[in-house]
Amino acid sequence: MSLDRSISELVYRSCALLDEMDFPGYLELCAPGFRYKIVAYSPELGKQMVWKDVDKEEMKHHLELVPRHVRDNSTLTRFPTVFTISYSDDGKNANVVSGLQVFKTKLDGGETKLFGVARMSDVVSVERDTVKLLSREVRMETRQLGIGSQIPF
Amino acid sequence: MSRTSAEWNDAPKLPVTHYVNSKIYTDEELHQEEVAKIFNKVWLIACHESEIPNAFDYRTFLHPCGRSIVVMRGEDMTVRSFYNICSHRGNTLLQNPSGNAKTITCVFHHWSYNTKGNCIDIPRERAGYGSRVCKEDVGLREVRTAVAYGGFVWVNVDDRCESLEQFIGKAFEDMEVELSYPMEVFHYHQAVIDTNYKLWHDTNRELYHDYMHYHNRLTGLTQKGYFNRVFHTYPNGHVQLDSMEIQYQAYTGKQRTLAWPGSAEACHKLIDIFPGTTYILRAPSFRVDTMTPLGANRVLIEFRGLGVKAEAADERAERLKEHNSLWGPFGLNLHEDLLANQLQTRAMLGGIENNYVLHGREENMTTHDEIGMRHYYAEWGRRVGRMPHDPFGKPVAVAA
Repeated sequence: MSLDRSISELVYRSCALLDEMDFPGYLELCAPGFRYKIVAYSPELGKQMVWKDVDKEEMKHHLELVPRHVRDNSTLTRFPTVFTISYSDDGKNANVVSGLQVFKTKLDGGETKLFGVARMSDVVSVERDTVKLLSREVRMETRQLGIGSQIPF
Repeated sequence: MSRTSAEWNDAPKLPVTHYVNSKIYTDEELHQEEVAKIFNKVWLIACHESEIPNAFDYRTFLHPCGRSIVVMRGEDMTVRSFYNICSHRGNTLLQNPSGNAKTITCVFHHWSYNTKGNCIDIPRERAGYGSRVCKEDVGLREVRTAVAYGGFVWVNVDDRCESLEQFIGKAFEDMEVELSYPMEVFHYHQAVIDTNYKLWHDTNRELYHDYMHYHNRLTGLTQKGYFNRVFHTYPNGHVQLDSMEIQYQAYTGKQRTLAWPGSAEACHKLIDIFPGTTYILRAPSFRVDTMTPLGANRVLIEFRGLGVKAEAADERAERLKEHNSLWGPFGLNLHEDLLANQLQTRAMLGGIENNYVLHGREENMTTHDEIGMRHYYAEWGRRVGRMPHDPFGKPVAVAA
């Protein structure tokens, strides 16, 4: 399998595992120094907001708490599309830019609606045949998310 | 024991002040009355002054009456508000939620206004109107405006309204010190929820629902001092709840030590302003909720996270992290509250049989007493001229 394809699959798998709420599986895809961020530009404030900024341990803690909280029983389905993959000069890291659409499906009746759109910028570590997520920044286009989501994009 | 239809429709065996009819949450005509008799008469938060820091900055706000209002900082640094409507043909003047404009020029026919609301240019004025219409007569409709209580910009569309100070009274006395420090908004998001605005505000007025929140059960409900908190009521429907120290370590393993200036570490203070504004200080986080009803069963809620102006970057980062973990769009607690309100409305929309919503807990005004809601509905009844437990019964006297 080509490196480009391995990296694309990493992006797709990371979204699929969150869809399935397989949080340990998702964290397995992340390097120890993983950093996750959600940002959104607020035209109301005229500046960028940070909606989430956590390291791997904090992300793990958050995801472990999700099942203990009350939550909407709708499911989220993430559809990433990898736009570009570029490599650092030493070839150890790849920068991946993807578009992301997230749909929400109600458990009762199965109605699906678009929940949010975003742009994802990932940094992926490349070592021998292994690729891991070093960081992910989700730049939200959608800022009105209704009741929100306890599970990140 | 389950109940028959007749039993289900029987009024609760409580004083009538201790329950409401669910139609007050779902009836569209009643909602229109609320807009006219409540929202068009009271002071509401439009934005925070930190959102318009410079001369000529503006911010738009959707008032519950349905009109867009523009809040502007003038060259003289005074904050004024106007209907965001051109005097000429009713066009929206400013489309963006914020910006900076020395003059406001309508895109349609180029009528222009300054930051005092004066019309300063009508293209080909004399040629078209002669002396029949002149700039002096077609200024913008100004809205009463005051900046107070933590730097928030309050507006009131009723020219004859009481002052903001009279409306608020002493409701903020427990946060006077905290609100004396200059603040700025670092977080803003909106949520449009299929629920009635009062159901959202009810949630902010009672802590009995802490049973729903895993976080609150661990850090508050099961902790010493939780049940000693006392609600205080104020004229015009406002309430305030005494503080307690939140035990964050029970949830995250680590206590929060960053306080808000002027208050204790990990304090939790709550002030609810009628009809839909809430200040929540859960140190290190500070959140203010405001809302615009979009109908009986739909509400736009605006959430603001606040920090202390010019605070150190690491302190801001800590407030932001704590805020986001619970109260951001991807937080764990806010989702629970909004979901519960949505589910309430889903259940109440049936509209075939009455069902009553109980506000009847009495615990000497302490933490799980539902006095916050009873106080609210007393004010609601006074202003709307209807009894919350029987809104379509005989009308009662309306507040002046």
